[in-house]
Amino acid sequence: MIDKPRRVAIIGGSRIPFARSNSHYSHASNQDMLTAALESLVARFDLQGQRIGEVAGGAVLKHSGDRDLTRESVLSTRLAPETPAYDVQQACGTGLETTILIANKIALGQIDCGIACGTDTTSDAPIGVNEDLRGIMLDLNREKSLVGRAKQLTRLRPGQIVPSIPRNEEPRTGLSMGEHCAIMAQEWGIGREQQDELAARSHHNLAAAYERGFMEDLVTPYLGLERDQNLRPDSSVEKLAKLPPVFGGPQGTMTAGNSTPLSDGSSAVLLASEEWAKERKLPVLAYFVDGQAAAIDHVHKREGLLMAPAYGMPLLLERVGVTLQDFDLYEIHEAFAAQVLCTLKAWEDERFCKERLGLKAPLGAIDRDRLNVNGGSLAAGHPFAATGGRIVASLAKALSERKPGRTPARGVISICAADGQGVLAVLESAGGAQR
Amino acid sequence: MATRTLKSSPRLLPLYARAAAPLIPGACLLPFVPGAGKSIPELELTLQDVRADGAQVADYAKVCGFALREHLPITYPHVLAFPLHMAVMADGRFPFGAVGLVHIENRILQHRPVGIGEPLSIKVWPTALEPHARGRAFTLVTQVSAGGEVVWEDFSTMLRRGGGSASENKVGPGERKAADRDGEGSPAAGLRPSATWRLPGDLGRRYAAVSGDRNPIHMHPLSAKLFGFPGAIAHGMWSKARCLAALESRLPDACEAEVRFRKPIVLPAKVQLASSLSEQPAGAGGSAEAPAGEVVGDSAGEIRFALTDAKKGTPHLDGVVRPVEHSEERSTGK
Repeated sequence: MIDKPRRVAIIGGSRIPFARSNSHYSHASNQDMLTAALESLVARFDLQGQRIGEVAGGAVLKHSGDRDLTRESVLSTRLAPETPAYDVQQACGTGLETTILIANKIALGQIDCGIACGTDTTSDAPIGVNEDLRGIMLDLNREKSLVGRAKQLTRLRPGQIVPSIPRNEEPRTGLSMGEHCAIMAQEWGIGREQQDELAARSHHNLAAAYERGFMEDLVTPYLGLERDQNLRPDSSVEKLAKLPPVFGGPQGTMTAGNSTPLSDGSSAVLLASEEWAKERKLPVLAYFVDGQAAAIDHVHKREGLLMAPAYGMPLLLERVGVTLQDFDLYEIHEAFAAQVLCTLKAWEDERFCKERLGLKAPLGAIDRDRLNVNGGSLAAGHPFAATGGRIVASLAKALSERKPGRTPARGVISICAADGQGVLAVLESAGGAQR
Repeated sequence: MATRTLKSSPRLLPLYARAAAPLIPGACLLPFVPGAGKSIPELELTLQDVRADGAQVADYAKVCGFALREHLPITYPHVLAFPLHMAVMADGRFPFGAVGLVHIENRILQHRPVGIGEPLSIKVWPTALEPHARGRAFTLVTQVSAGGEVVWEDFSTMLRRGGGSASENKVGPGERKAADRDGEGSPAAGLRPSATWRLPGDLGRRYAAVSGDRNPIHMHPLSAKLFGFPGAIAHGMWSKARCLAALESRLPDACEAEVRFRKPIVLPAKVQLASSLSEQPAGAGGSAEAPAGEVVGDSAGEIRFALTDAKKGTPHLDGVVRPVEHSEERSTGK
């Protein structure tokens, strides 16, 4: 047992380039991709044959056969088979949640090192047997007598051939996430132009990150893809302005350009105690400081589906003891440009902060030049459970590049998720005075 | 030496017709039907700029149990070279047709993993016929190069039954001796099974679809019976691929994987894999007390493995994987 929590180091991350749906990775399963991300991490940090304390991973779209997906993936890698693993599912927050879980166990001394990872495919999506057919098949199986079985078989209808396909739909509202976000955009008065600006900047920032070699030790090619397929370095507000709205009706402001595309990919992050890193002479990119999950009632109360991170932020700030302006870098997951802009506007809004967050004063504005400086999900794509790992690794590396000051450089991550949830975390650079 | 460079991968259907033609009495008198020659001709076929197709690799990986990686499954170049194998054996000067030949040994030498999209050149040639206890045998040698460097080699030894030191239909003393040697010399003798696989009746057709090897003995019980088998039999190269897929995470990048095919697997079947990995005591360095992150297992050593029938213990395949040092002599062919 340890007396007080240990510092948790982020050693680095590795991911495969993200592909657009039904393209490069259309034949790769979640397990294939998760294995590829883990193997690239193994290669990068020389983890062959090593028993890792724990691997936490997950996928949002899972086949019924994907039992213990993460453990099965671990067994396909060169990590020691004696490495325990488990699956996590928290919609788009999955990847960041696995990071928090691993970090907490390291902090408590339960493990010395761990891997947080995630994967998702929208190409190799699970297709279920028609619900009626499934019911009949189960009843048939329960019948003992021949007559009883024959009776069950008479319930079969041709229409039951139609399979059940997962839909991008909120189970309790029947609206897609895009439609929910369109309502938020309208309520918060987020215009088309600012959304397109954010999208164009995301592409430019990610392109620049690739150009200056920033992505070299973060991304490992897979199946012939070397960069994120969705990235359009020549994207511009003018080009984006030409796209028709896809959510919110003909007057809607959300397009295929300022919403993330369906994508395939995986990512993995290596975390460890300082001693573990030191023993292996592995440099520390950044430290994990704290994490926070939040949820709102999007079903019965008047709150936007993707507003949960707005609620989680003040809780996190208070615990870490900083203000929203104290961060050097902000990573707000760009599920939709409108989601990012609604969240920022909410933090600036006096009424929202007072009435809904219960604060005395608004959290205030942030310096937009510190936001998603190496690109966001609009440019990279968003394979749901893989996004958290992408952001953690990229932010940790960006923090490691900051010049050491009197205080460590800090970064905050905010990820919105389906079902009215959100996950946030704070990282800080290794340089500067110790907290 | 006649070296022929093919412009494209040969189409398999006409090759099958030619491979089977010697079964028709007198057909070998025709110049394009194998069977006229007395010895294996000096012949070399090459194919340039071959690229594996990602979707086909994915299908192959699924049927054999490999994860879809940035690199080809270790056995996949054999699939790319298979049309050349068929073309060599369908050559008019060949002493017998490919139908009826038995694949008895296969050795793969991977110098480094081969990328999926990498442009490859493939060279195939047969060695001379050599006497074998059960007939005569020769080896099809395959060399796969990338950027002028040999990256992958395959040695498939084929047996033409009959006319050997042992007579064909009767178990002679020579055969008995060979069989005994087979059993005792098994590198995997005495290993504990670590996995049981149920192989479906249509496995031959599934593997045929992803490998192009549509030998009738694999396709259907009826077509297999025509050739004297009790039912459709699993492809030898599938069984090798399946075993290596199960050991995939423990294969060194540069390695040699050698197998001997023993009794054919009659489908459907339940088989068991045993490997020397299971000889390592559990927790050898990986026990719960060991500090996390410790290196466990021995990935540098040799791995012996065997595939047997789950009920009867009939040996189907045994083999060994050895790491290859980079300094080692590259080419072993000629």
